[in-house]
Amino acid sequence: MDNELHELEAELKRLRPVAPAPAVAAEIGVALAVPRRRFWAWTALPLAAGLAGIALLREHPAAPTPAPAPVVAAAAYKPVSAENLLYAQRDEGLVTLADGTTARRYRSSYVDTITWKNPRTQASLRWSVPRTEERVIPVSFQ
Amino acid sequence: MEDIPDDESWTDWFQRYGPKLLLCARQWTRSLADAEDVVQEAFVRFWRHQRGLGGEPQALLFTSVRRAAIDLARRNSRRSAREEHADGGLESTEPLFETPLEGDDRRAAIESALRQLPVEQREVLVLKIWGELTFDQIAAQLGIPPNTAASRYRYALGALRETLTAADCHG
Repeated sequence: MDNELHELEAELKRLRPVAPAPAVAAEIGVALAVPRRRFWAWTALPLAAGLAGIALLREHPAAPTPAPAPVVAAAAYKPVSAENLLYAQRDEGLVTLADGTTARRYRSSYVDTITWKNPRTQASLRWSVPRTEERVIPVSFQ
Repeated sequence: MEDIPDDESWTDWFQRYGPKLLLCARQWTRSLADAEDVVQEAFVRFWRHQRGLGGEPQALLFTSVRRAAIDLARRNSRRSAREEHADGGLESTEPLFETPLEGDDRRAAIESALRQLPVEQREVLVLKIWGELTFDQIAAQLGIPPNTAASRYRYALGALRETLTAADCHG
């Protein structure tokens, strides 16, 4: 390459590409925070929630109930909030259903977070699970 | 290029490479919004599944970006045939590069010249200059021989120089 092309090359290298919008990093953060394997998430999280509930109860020795069974402990917790965080949404285009109908399929990914609280001890328990929602909407062509 | 240290967070990595990835994604998408979606999808996929594979993480990430862009293009083409465009992107008018304190006219001229390049030359140029990939890596990325990548790069630079010189003469 001649010198002129080297100079152009150097000039191009000095240009700095624009950065992605801050929302992109935020959405990556949400996506990376979601457990990788959904099967494990669905099976392990309830178990973890139960264990956490037991652990929380043990942190309150003043509670008069002596060593409650997990089922009894869980019953003491009341749901106080439920949130859905939508972190990805995708239009998957047209699909043909089994009956031959044409439809458009949308896939949305959420993290559902449910919080329980024990009104007597004020101990709380939060349970977050990933959820994928698939919507199929029939379309008609004019 | 070094492997990603274990203690490096994704935010550090994204901050460092995000702009380059976005520029490359814009080669292969129709709009800035699509390119950002592609970068997001590719980065998540890379960080979860590929960063531990060893080798050149940056090259792996560019591969991930390209695949995500191809997936998106396929979905888009299914979505609406009448909106279908040829591959090649950079159709949006949003700036590709940060505005320098001086010489914004020159940046605009370079961007305009870049948009006029044939797709196959431009993608090699972008991967080489801003992606900092070698010709071997670019060749693997695009499925072409390394010599072809190198010659496309030279053609791209030559074409850019011609366009910019013509713009200077008329400007």
